[in-house]
Amino acid sequence: MADGAASVVESTGQQKWGPGIVETLGIAALVAFAGYAALFIAPTERTMGVIQRIFYFHVPSAWTGFVAFFINLIGSIAFLRTRNLKWDRLAVASAEIGVAFFTVVLVTGPIWARPVWGIWWTWDARLTSSFVLWLLYVCYLLLRTLVDETERRAVVSAVFGIFAAFDIPLVYFSIWLFRTQHPQPVIGQGGSLDSRMLNVLLLCWMALLGVMVLLLRQRVRLETLRHSVEQLRTESARDAGAE
Amino acid sequence: MALLRPTTILLKKELRSEFRTRELLTTTWVFVVTVLVLFSFTFEPTQVESRRFGPGLLWLALLFAGSLMLHPSFAREQVNDTLAALRMAPIDPVAIIASKILANLCFLLVAEVFLLPIFAALYNLSLLPILPQLLLVMLLGTLALATVGTVFSAISSHARMRELLLPLLLLPLLAPALIASTEATRGLLEDPPGLPLEWTGVLLSFDIVFLTVTWLFGEYLLEE
Amino acid sequence: MLNGLQSLTVAYMAVWAIFFGYQFSVGRRLRQLQDEVERLKTRR
Repeated sequence: MADGAASVVESTGQQKWGPGIVETLGIAALVAFAGYAALFIAPTERTMGVIQRIFYFHVPSAWTGFVAFFINLIGSIAFLRTRNLKWDRLAVASAEIGVAFFTVVLVTGPIWARPVWGIWWTWDARLTSSFVLWLLYVCYLLLRTLVDETERRAVVSAVFGIFAAFDIPLVYFSIWLFRTQHPQPVIGQGGSLDSRMLNVLLLCWMALLGVMVLLLRQRVRLETLRHSVEQLRTESARDAGAE
Repeated sequence: MALLRPTTILLKKELRSEFRTRELLTTTWVFVVTVLVLFSFTFEPTQVESRRFGPGLLWLALLFAGSLMLHPSFAREQVNDTLAALRMAPIDPVAIIASKILANLCFLLVAEVFLLPIFAALYNLSLLPILPQLLLVMLLGTLALATVGTVFSAISSHARMRELLLPLLLLPLLAPALIASTEATRGLLEDPPGLPLEWTGVLLSFDIVFLTVTWLFGEYLLEE
Repeated sequence: MLNGLQSLTVAYMAVWAIFFGYQFSVGRRLRQLQDEVERLKTRR
């Protein structure tokens, strides 16, 4: 058993599950191209001007965040069913990354709003919902730091993660409904999308999904290594005690 | 239904143990009244203002009080590890959770029944004409709080800082229910009063969704 | 007061900083763990 843990540690040290150089460079190229497209290929918006180009990262970040939280849901359910900790590792990684993406949403929102509408924050439906979602999954991460035992931590966070995921549509719908009855200035653009804009938007989304996948694999690798090290530590302590 | 009988028995046990001392009920009631009194300093309690701010404050006060009150639900089982004894009984573990949810629902509803007259008096609102609809909204909203609160009480009982963790976990998750309850209550307090069906629908959906999720996944929280 | 182009630049930098910062944090923890692995391996 000691050799098993040691060999796992060795293989993760050799980037068995981490992203390789080729994939990283590929995604980096995609991101660079997407950034170029957002800045130069997409047509300039009529009313807002250059600042509107934030939209190409503000909106897909939210979409990618949703994907990450959906992965968290999968990981949570899969862990409860199989009790295999690899699902728990996927769950914590995807939750962290989802929070990172929604941080981008919450930071770019005000940066967009300030020059255009003269305000830092508006309690508009999308931004408010993003804020609640961000808080929800920050609570998920907080919960994890407060439970020490590995197995139990995985179980309770899985249940919380499932509750959180099913809350997402309810959050968005209730806040949207509230805003239709108590209107506030809306951040973002109304109206239909030019087809070039749509293409650039989708391109940026693909790029961000690529970033998400890279970060996810890296983070899961970290968690796997941490778990192996913990096992090695307890074995080492046990052996030392036995001598 | 094999679930009904053990749930009822456990429910009676929960109710009996609480009504023996009634400390939870009285503490909750005092807390909410205090919060309502303090909130009254934040605005002019005229009819118009009360109708605008009253519902939100009422539900916020209930949310805070509830999240403090729900904590003992599982914490008190830890003292003598009575949860292990319950688990060994040949019953569906969902019954344990269901009975606690129903018990917490009862406690909260009882507290609210005593609360409403005080709320009406302090904020100069007349609740009698809208009482049946108001009770419906209170029931649906409290059920949301009781369901999620009980499950999260089980979750936080395994964590450090559990007294702080429970309200912390509850607030973002209950946001849709809070909004819906407040808006539904506000609709009832308007002139002329009307029950907003869309918000009642949101509350109902909330309850159905999370009761189902609890039924499907709650038992994992009871394991050792 | 920042104009549109300056705000856009700030936004792009912020996005980049958030992702790079996260990757950096993960990388740092990974290196720390790998160092500990080396330590544990040489001890046995």
